[in-house]
Amino acid sequence: MKKLLIRIGMVLVMLVVLNWVYSRWFFEKDLRQHSDIVELSWQVVDDSCRIIYLGESSNNHFGDDEPNHRKISDFTSDYFPTVKMGDLTKEASHAQTYYYMLKHVPASSAVETVVVTMNLRSFGPLWIYSKLETPLRKQLVLLEDYPPLVNRFLLAFKAYPIKTEEEWDAIVHEHWRNDTFNIPNFIWRTNADWNYGMYTYGWYDACGQRDWDVTALACHYIKTYGFQIEENNPRLKDFDNIVALCRERGWNLVFNLMAENVDKANELVGKDLMLLFRHNRDFLLQRYGNLEGVRVVNNLSLVRDVNFIDQNWTTEHYYEEGRRIVADHLASALKEFYPEEYQNPKTLILDKGHYCLSATRALDWQNPYGSTLVLTGDSIQPDWSIMNVAFEIHQQDSLSKAVLAVEKHNAQGKVSIDSYAVKSQVQKTGAWDFATYALPIDSTLRTAQEIKLYVHNFSGSIVQIRNFDVSFRPSYLKARVKAQSYKSADLNNGE
Amino acid sequence: MVFNSIEFLVFLPIVVLLFYLLPHKWRWLMLLAASCVFYMWFVPKYILILLVTIVIDYSSGILMERCADQPRKKKTFMIVSIVSTLTVLIVFKYLNFITENLDQLCVSLGMETHLMTHIILPIGLSFHTFQSMSYVIEVCRGHQKAEQHFGYYSLYVMFFPQLVTGPIERPGNLLRQLHEKKEFRYENISKGMRLILFGFFVKMVVADHLGEYVDEVYGHLGEYNSWSVLLGMVFYSFQIYCDFFGYSTIALGSAKLMGFDITDNFRSPYLSKNIAEFWHRWHISLSTWFRDYVYIPLGGSRVKFGRWVFNILVVFVLSGIWHGAAWTFLLWGFAHGVLHIVEKLLRSSALSTRRDAPLFLNALSVMKTFVLVTLFWVMFRATSMEHLKEIFVTAFTKFGEGEMMHVRTGMWLYLGLLILFDILLRNTRFDVWCNDKPLVLRWAVYAVLVFMTICCSSVANFPFIYFQF
Repeated sequence: MKKLLIRIGMVLVMLVVLNWVYSRWFFEKDLRQHSDIVELSWQVVDDSCRIIYLGESSNNHFGDDEPNHRKISDFTSDYFPTVKMGDLTKEASHAQTYYYMLKHVPASSAVETVVVTMNLRSFGPLWIYSKLETPLRKQLVLLEDYPPLVNRFLLAFKAYPIKTEEEWDAIVHEHWRNDTFNIPNFIWRTNADWNYGMYTYGWYDACGQRDWDVTALACHYIKTYGFQIEENNPRLKDFDNIVALCRERGWNLVFNLMAENVDKANELVGKDLMLLFRHNRDFLLQRYGNLEGVRVVNNLSLVRDVNFIDQNWTTEHYYEEGRRIVADHLASALKEFYPEEYQNPKTLILDKGHYCLSATRALDWQNPYGSTLVLTGDSIQPDWSIMNVAFEIHQQDSLSKAVLAVEKHNAQGKVSIDSYAVKSQVQKTGAWDFATYALPIDSTLRTAQEIKLYVHNFSGSIVQIRNFDVSFRPSYLKARVKAQSYKSADLNNGE
Repeated sequence: MVFNSIEFLVFLPIVVLLFYLLPHKWRWLMLLAASCVFYMWFVPKYILILLVTIVIDYSSGILMERCADQPRKKKTFMIVSIVSTLTVLIVFKYLNFITENLDQLCVSLGMETHLMTHIILPIGLSFHTFQSMSYVIEVCRGHQKAEQHFGYYSLYVMFFPQLVTGPIERPGNLLRQLHEKKEFRYENISKGMRLILFGFFVKMVVADHLGEYVDEVYGHLGEYNSWSVLLGMVFYSFQIYCDFFGYSTIALGSAKLMGFDITDNFRSPYLSKNIAEFWHRWHISLSTWFRDYVYIPLGGSRVKFGRWVFNILVVFVLSGIWHGAAWTFLLWGFAHGVLHIVEKLLRSSALSTRRDAPLFLNALSVMKTFVLVTLFWVMFRATSMEHLKEIFVTAFTKFGEGEMMHVRTGMWLYLGLLILFDILLRNTRFDVWCNDKPLVLRWAVYAVLVFMTICCSSVANFPFIYFQF
């Protein structure tokens, strides 16, 4: 037994040494590789952001033919031109992911206010037990509060829920069958009953034939929103953790309850679903709206059906008008914390609207577009001959397909794109580097109705871009004329 | 429950602790309960199938012993037991394959049928069925006394370290040990831990990293050139070896912690000079099972040449079919059988089999065997005959097309380490190899293995390949 105790002691010493070695040389690389959300948290410091916006696909989803690829957070930042605002956007993320992102915002950051997307769907079983939970939870393992070696051990031994799609589905169905509604006079007992009722009685077309497409969509609305948030909802714990963390760090907290397509829900399912929407909204407003230092922005029914991109599914993906509405409402709430800095963007001098161009943005196949500068061809002075584009770039590896794109829309609506490979300028990986381009201004640019400049990276290898800067150089002058003194298209509309 | 999970790392110490804390007479019950928990962690209801085969084979054993002096009756009981056990195996493992092929046959004959079934294979069915069958055959042959205690017999079939992926144990080894009173010995703990650590390294660091490459290449054949696919073939050889070897080593270590010695399943198989030697070193518990219960009863090698060829082909085709219900597995078994016959015919003239053969000839023989085994593994990995054809076509005709898949430096390091260990452990086992090494070297090796297992393991989720059998 004595021999065994000595060996146990030796193992402990070995683990302490290995933990030191791992933390010193390997942990950061692993974090970047397996928990890349932490990079978003770290960049907050680089960007000296005072407000951070945490969101999911609602923040970076645009219509296919939409010319303006500005996010809700970009539109919001227009209201606070002197306050730097960064966004931490991760597809399919939810409060638990946000909590870990916030936890890893370094203490040295300038963050004062945190805006957290509160998505009503994320409280329902369809999202809580989604198949995406496996990769999302896997990302969080290295971000636990244990020593780095322990975190890596937990990741190696798969300390996160590994389930197949069928297993996750089975859990969701179990909740639909067993979770009962506790609302007085509510006619449905469970989601499954309700869904069955809709499936049985459903929708009919003008000819009196069963319209299965509409019925299926109505059933999907029931499956997505047909739940009642109660104190035992697991998602509440994640939001509670965010509240506690923000208090501890002294941050203002704004929960941004996203708009849902209540028009369509009402049309397809009717008053029962409206009742649940109201019940769940009121529950969240009461639970969080009265807490000190916490604001809940209620956008739930602000966006009309026509402003939703996905007409045949339940998402929070809005067209520009929808994104602007949410941003406007959110800005009104943020105004409370920044009364001096608040300005209506319609009265802004436009170069101040481009703060989003300096913030870091991560590009990959899911989110390939970088910050976009939009200008018109006639704003290019006749004596300017060179367009200088400069930005800082951080490439994870050499596999990215990042290009600088110059997109030209002519009067006939024809679009042509000139692209310049970033690799031709930057070979460095794993560190920030500068890319600069001097592009000749030709007649196609001058006659374009609209010109868009952005970095595009449609690849699995993440590329980060910051301080995107465009300037013009007359042929006879060396001094640079800042492009930022020119108006972006979206703000033009406002004037 | 899988070995490389947090659940198992909590489960195992609790079981070992309880094992030593409980008096001997209650240990079987605790181990049986633990084995049930281990198995039910996957899909609880499948334990009922296990229970059915246990009841059939346990009863058959007792009945056979009761009529020890009536050979015909005894044989009848054995046949009934084997047929029942095989029926379970056929229904759950082969029925989908049979009905699918019948459907295709009917379609080709112009008939429309819908015989296709979709039965899910319970985990480890082939392993514990074979283990049960070995018990019944041994009792019938009189080599083993029938187990009277239902609990001990159930534990023999269900002993958790080897329940789902073997080694396929014989009653003469495991059942006997289950009755023995095991005392706590530091040596067992130490050896068990060494084996578990080494098994984790082999599975989680080497096999899973190689698996990432192999899955990518085999899953996107059109994108890569022949060199990438050829490299994928080599990597798959090592992946399947490390995956199965890793599991077997962890199984060995887990049993050793409680003082049980279960069968070694591998002995550096890729250092074999011919295919016969390969099968003496690869999945030893299965090849000896086929040798003892199929090959020798068929007459073994002491028969005319034609009959011997038949015996060999039967054994290898059965071995292929045992692995999986698909034509690719059957072809894999057949290819090994043919190669075995060809090598046997050529062996008399081959220098490599001579004891005094020069080193380079031995090395060439090892290379030749590895290359052939690697080519055969493609049949094992392919998901269908079409996929198999596609792999071979891509591997040998697209040298100038497609991309070369990048191999991370770490992967070469892990593979290099594995080959080094394989050479070092050629005639021994990791726990034994460590015994005579100086303390500093031993602990340095532990530290490297612990570090690599924790910090360099693949984070992709690769279930053990042999789970599907």
